[in-house]
Amino acid sequence: MMNKKKRLLLLNGSPRKAKTSYVFARTMKELAEKKGHKAEIIHIIEYFDEEKHFEALKQVILPQDILGLVTPLYVDTLPYPVIWFLERIACDLTGELKGKEFFAVAQCGFPDTDLLHPLLESCGYFAKALEMKWLGGLGYGGGALIDGTPLEKLGRKGKKITSAFAFALDDIVEGKSISPRVQDQLTVKIPKILYRALAAFLNYRKKREAYSHGVSVADLTRKTYLENKV
Amino acid sequence: MSLVILDAFGEENLIEKALENLLQKTGKEFFYFKLKNMKILACRSCGACEIKSPGKCVFHDDMPEIMRAIAPGSLILMLTPVRFGGYSSQLKKVLDKLMILVLPLYTVKDGHLLHSPRYGKKSLLVIGLTGQNLPGEEENFRLLAARNALNMQFTHKTLLFTSADPMEKIEREIDKALCEVKP
Ligand SMILES: Cc1cc2nc3c(=O)[nH]c(=O)nc-3n(C[C@H](O)[C@H](O)[C@H](O)COP(=O)(O)O)c2cc1C
Repeated sequence: MMNKKKRLLLLNGSPRKAKTSYVFARTMKELAEKKGHKAEIIHIIEYFDEEKHFEALKQVILPQDILGLVTPLYVDTLPYPVIWFLERIACDLTGELKGKEFFAVAQCGFPDTDLLHPLLESCGYFAKALEMKWLGGLGYGGGALIDGTPLEKLGRKGKKITSAFAFALDDIVEGKSISPRVQDQLTVKIPKILYRALAAFLNYRKKREAYSHGVSVADLTRKTYLENKV
Repeated sequence: MSLVILDAFGEENLIEKALENLLQKTGKEFFYFKLKNMKILACRSCGACEIKSPGKCVFHDDMPEIMRAIAPGSLILMLTPVRFGGYSSQLKKVLDKLMILVLPLYTVKDGHLLHSPRYGKKSLLVIGLTGQNLPGEEENFRLLAARNALNMQFTHKTLLFTSADPMEKIEREIDKALCEVKP
């Protein structure tokens, strides 16, 4: 069966407009376009900063069939500007998004996709509260290591993520829930036994970065707000 | 024990009233921040608070006022309506900036990769007000609060109320939680 060409709007939830969330959104956009669908990306931070008018957003959102939030994890859930944005949508566009499809892709610093569970659940509640069809969420642990590197420059890792997104899009454009095998493919399985070695490596990197900026470990660990000056 | 209250409610409600009564009765020392009246800029993930300006955001807003209360304090109490099974944006504007409570260094504890705390042990009491929420939202809210506590290596408790709950019940439960939650 020939599927209908869809319109897909990807919402970048990171205040950093060219980093990992954007790289993921860009890959999804390209994949969707290759399949003949229309896709565009907007940056939530531009609405938050009032560089773009929230009122004008309605014209951008209403013609879309599918909305996809691509976002980093901040302190175990959605970043503040993203919650602000979803609250505004819930308040200003009640009833108007009914029947559209919604999905989310979240990524975080630590290499553990379980950390993204509360965030993805919140996206599901948002979709349901607005009577949209929730297609499900995908999580990627270790987005901080990608740090905005285009997936095509990441070798095997990039190919794996891209192929997982392609599978996810097959479901998404057909209005189906994202298959659990996509999450399996995206999950980086680091045995917990390696966490100590990983922590030591990350600490070494961070201290080296600090030294290169003339900052000692004592400076790095300052109890800044217990000092009199601040 | 000093208590720092981060109140993310827009309008006055039963939880605030109950807390006010309780604090008056017990004479506990506390700092009260009504977040809707505070200028807190969104975290831009610029990374400056890690190395360039350790433990301090380089953008000027009202966070230092909150941080001066939290750093020596032992209990943080967060009040928020339950939004999409999580926190409201009013609360999240502060929480995103509380990552300076941890160091940019890593440690492993009970099988979790975590940041080390900058100011030692603290506790977190999260109080949510539910309204017309969907089934499952409360559970997600509790999970989120537990994750925050783990992330910061704090002990914690979560309470959920509805606006139909009687004032005495809210007061009693908050009082009990304040006694139970210890760093
Ligand atoms: C304020 C703040 C809070 C964060 N909290 C978490 C967290 O709780 N868990 C985690 O694994 N990563 C956390 N991160 C890391 C980001 O999720 C991660 O670096 C992500 O890849 C950033 O996405 P971006 O490149 O699209 O901005 C946090 C980052 C910031 C700035």
